[in-house]
Amino acid sequence: MLESMRASLATLKDVAGISGSFVCTQDGRLLSRDIAAVFDDDVLAEAGSRLCRVKEAFAAGGDDLEAGVMRFGEHKIFLKAVGSSMLCIVAAGGINMPALRMAANLVGRRIAADVSRGESEPPPVRTAAAAHPPETGSTRRPTQPLAPPGMRRFRGRAVE
Amino acid sequence: MKGRQHVNPRPHGASDIHDEDEDEDKTVPGVKPGATGASVGFRAKLAGVSLWDLVQMECMAGSRMVVLVTGEAGIGYLYFDRGHIIHAVTAELVGEPAALEVLSWTNGSFQPCDRPWPETATIVTSHEALILEAAQRRDEGQRSNLVSFPRSGRAAVTEEFAPVTEEFEDLELTDIEEEGALGMRSSNVEDEPPGAAAAHADLGTTDFQVMLRLSASGVVVRSHGASEQQAETIAYVKRLVDLTGELLGLDEFTALEFVFAGGRCVMFTDTNGDTVVLRPKPETNLQPIRGRLGL
Repeated sequence: MLESMRASLATLKDVAGISGSFVCTQDGRLLSRDIAAVFDDDVLAEAGSRLCRVKEAFAAGGDDLEAGVMRFGEHKIFLKAVGSSMLCIVAAGGINMPALRMAANLVGRRIAADVSRGESEPPPVRTAAAAHPPETGSTRRPTQPLAPPGMRRFRGRAVE
Repeated sequence: MKGRQHVNPRPHGASDIHDEDEDEDKTVPGVKPGATGASVGFRAKLAGVSLWDLVQMECMAGSRMVVLVTGEAGIGYLYFDRGHIIHAVTAELVGEPAALEVLSWTNGSFQPCDRPWPETATIVTSHEALILEAAQRRDEGQRSNLVSFPRSGRAAVTEEFAPVTEEFEDLELTDIEEEGALGMRSSNVEDEPPGAAAAHADLGTTDFQVMLRLSASGVVVRSHGASEQQAETIAYVKRLVDLTGELLGLDEFTALEFVFAGGRCVMFTDTNGDTVVLRPKPETNLQPIRGRLGL
């Protein structure tokens, strides 16, 4: 992950009420994060890929999603499209929205070049050996379903 | 019809229904005396039965009878014969217009009565078509109480048929007839603190290009200007958003606002689990709705 991008994300916390943020590509890669360690990378990548799919879903109907805010009880997630990736900001419900919007716009602009570079990088390729290690009788795991690109967990279960 | 009513089904299938607070033995001019007293069978008390349901019951029973309907706008008579409404009369109208007028009423009573039978039928339209027409007119005419918004950030929105609870306050949705009225009203609202703005929100159906209500299972409950694809998109997006919140350990999703290159979209979860989507026109001030939904 790029340190410059992480530093830009850190500036978002100048706005009171922002818990953290992360950037995820359309294919489910976590480009950068500045959020509590309680959210592991896999969770953020999966959440980000779903939010990118929200963008895709609207795009299929001709709506180009630029930004959005979602309310979950006492929390909000603010979304800002950056290229085909998504800047996701987790914030308190009572956050100052104009300040959040402004901060997200500035950070989105600042990280755009890095995001573009990150998007153009090929996704990490897992070798066949790494993805499917030889199975022995004792290490054989139950067959798990294939997940859509970028999805590593589905309904709380790890999938490949 | 939301009023409480008494129903006294008669052996031949007709129903004798009147307001609960009326004396059961009270006679109404024109109403068959002893129509209830001489009957055998069940006497029922129904609450919240719509006139449309009662009309359908009579038609299904194939009754030949006249029913006095007392509604909020007066009285009217519906003539049923072998599963059809063949004639209707109100103070000013006769025939189909009268039937549509009666079917537009939402509160009142429904009682069999004695009336001279018309020489000829004045209505040929089926009762289903009449009810559909009445429903359509009600939709078109109903500019108020289409959606209501919660007072606080907890999103819960009711639509016209949903029960009203004290927790929620209806947004008055009215047609904006005066040119520029919306702009004036919006600027006034913006001058007020958020809570007050929300309380005085005055948005009409003309403020929204799309209004869509989906059930929790994704069925389109109601749609105004939404395409099938939009409904599918919303159903999918709602699912993705729910999963995202669940994944991040957040509380239940309540509302969202998305900004597109060419418009905006507000979506929220109603108390009954329905998902309501509004796509406002570009000039619509969303601040009152944001206040209600905690966005």
